[in-house]
Amino acid sequence: MEHSRHVFRIALVLVVAISAFVLLRTLFVPRTYGDYGPYRGGNVVEQAHVREPRHAGSDGCTSCHAKQAADRKTGGHKAVSCEVCHGPSGIHVQAGAVKGKMPVDRSYQLCARCHRKIEGRPEKFPQVVLDQHVPAALETGVCLQCHNPHSPKP
Amino acid sequence: MPEISGFAFPNDIHVHWSLMIVMYPYITGFVAGSFIVTSLYHVFGRQEFKPIAKLSLAASFCFLLIAGMPLQLHLGHPERGIFVMITPHFTSAMAGFGLLYTTYLVIVALEVWFVWRQDIIEAARRARGLKRSLYKAMALWTYDSSPEAQEVDHKVITVLAGIGLPMACMLHGYVGFIFGAIKANPWWSTPLMPVIFLLSAAVSGIALLSVVYQVVSKLRRAPAEEPTVSALARWLWFFLILTITLELLEIIMLAYEKDESWHIISQLLTTRLEFSFITVQMIIGGMIPLILLGIVVMANKYMAPRLRNGLTVAASLLLLLQVFSMRWNVVIGGQLLSKSLRGLRSTYNPELFGREGVLMAIALFITPFVLMFLFDRLLPIHKAGEGAVPGEAKTGSAHV
Repeated sequence: MEHSRHVFRIALVLVVAISAFVLLRTLFVPRTYGDYGPYRGGNVVEQAHVREPRHAGSDGCTSCHAKQAADRKTGGHKAVSCEVCHGPSGIHVQAGAVKGKMPVDRSYQLCARCHRKIEGRPEKFPQVVLDQHVPAALETGVCLQCHNPHSPKP
Repeated sequence: MPEISGFAFPNDIHVHWSLMIVMYPYITGFVAGSFIVTSLYHVFGRQEFKPIAKLSLAASFCFLLIAGMPLQLHLGHPERGIFVMITPHFTSAMAGFGLLYTTYLVIVALEVWFVWRQDIIEAARRARGLKRSLYKAMALWTYDSSPEAQEVDHKVITVLAGIGLPMACMLHGYVGFIFGAIKANPWWSTPLMPVIFLLSAAVSGIALLSVVYQVVSKLRRAPAEEPTVSALARWLWFFLILTITLELLEIIMLAYEKDESWHIISQLLTTRLEFSFITVQMIIGGMIPLILLGIVVMANKYMAPRLRNGLTVAASLLLLLQVFSMRWNVVIGGQLLSKSLRGLRSTYNPELFGREGVLMAIALFITPFVLMFLFDRLLPIHKAGEGAVPGEAKTGSAHV
C-alpha cells in the first residue's frame, strides 16, 4: 500500500473530475431536457411560437400583380402557388406598404427542380432532359427565353 | 446539380453526410488500431512491440483528442455539439458516442499517465522554474519511483489496457453499428458492418504506425528494430486478410442472394464506385498490399532490412488509402442510391474550401501529428539516445 500512494492520488483526481463533470452537467443540461424524450422539452413550445407563418398565399399577390395573376389562372401553372417559385411573401407587404424586397430567381435550376427529367416523376408531367432540350448554354434566364413562367405552354 | 439515372425519387438525391462523415470513422479507426498495437505489448506481452508501445499509445491519444472534430465541423449548429457528451442516451446510436468516447478518453488518459509517470518524475526532478511546477503537478506531487511502485504501475497499466482494448473495439464497432443499423439502406444494413469497420480500423492503425515508426526512426537516426517491423507486417497482413475477406464476403453474399437490392448495388459498384471500390479499395489498396505483405511475411528471413522496411511502408501507405476509400465507399456510396432501389445519383464531389471541404479534411489528418509533436515535447516518446546509433542514419536490425 505504501507504494500505491500515487494510485490513490490519481483516483482522487478522477473522483474530483467526475464530480466536477456531474456538477457542470447540471448547469449545462436544459431544465426541460427529458420532459418528453431525450431532447429539450421547451423547444417544442418555442418552435410553435417563435416561427411565425411567413407565407401570405397567392391571394395576397393579386392586388398589385394583377396581370401575372390573370396569366397564371389560365396557364399550366394555375395549380402552382406564387410562393412555390417566388418564396414566402409574408413580410413583402405589411399594412399596405412594401416592407421587404422579393428577389426574382430566374435560374434554370428553379425550373429544373420540377421539370428536370427524372424517371420517378409521373409520366405525363412535363419534364425535359436539360442537355437535349436547351440548345444554348445552361445559364440563368435560359428557360425564360422561350417560356412565360406565369403561363407556360407545353 | 447532381445527375440522376434510373427511377430515383426527386427528393432522394442529397448527400447529407459529407466528407467529414468519411473522416470521422477514418480518424476513429486510427485510435482503435493504435490502441490494439499498444495492448499487444501491455496486455499480451508481445515484446516485439515494446519499441513502439509508447508511440502507439501517444498516437491513439492524439487521434482520440480530435476524433469528435469531424462531427463538430459537420454540425449545422456546432454550439449544440457538447450535448452529445452531457446528455448521452441509448435511443439513438449516435447519442451513445458521449458515453463511449468519454469513458475511453478517461482510460487512455489514465494509461498515458501511468506509462509516462517515471518520465514525469524524472522531469520534475530535473527541470527548473515553471516547468518544474508543471511536471510536479503532473506527477500529483508523489515521486515514488521505487521498483515496488513501478511494479504497481505495471499492474495498473495492464488492467487499464485490458479494459481499454474492449472499449477501443466498442468505440469503433459502434461507428460501424451506426451504419449497419440503418435498415432502410441495403448498402449499409448488415451485421457485418461493425466487424468490417473494426478490422479495417486495426489495419489502418497498424499501417499508420508502420509508417510513423519508420519516419521517427529516420528522424532519430536510430535503426528500426527488425522484430518490430516484421511483427507489424505480420499483424498487418493478418488483419488485412480478415478485412478483405469480410469485405468481399459481404459483396459475395449480396451477389449470391440476389435479393431486390442487388440490382442497384451491383450498378453502384460498377458505375459510381467503380474507381473508388474496385480500383482503389480492392486492387490498389487491397490486393497489392496483400501481395507485398505476403512477401515480407513469408520471405522475412531472406530479406535485407532495407527491402523489408521499404515493402512494409509501401504496403502501409497503400493501406491507408484503402481504408480511406472503404470509408468513402460506405458513407458516400450509401447516399448515391435511391430509396426506390431503382435509381442512382451522380457521384459526390466535396468542396475544396469550407468547413466540410478537402482542405479541412487534410488539416484534420495533420492535426494529430502536430499534437504528437507537442506530446513528445512534453512527455518524450523515446528517451534521449534510446536505440540511437550516433552518426548513422541507415535503418537496420539491432537484433540480428
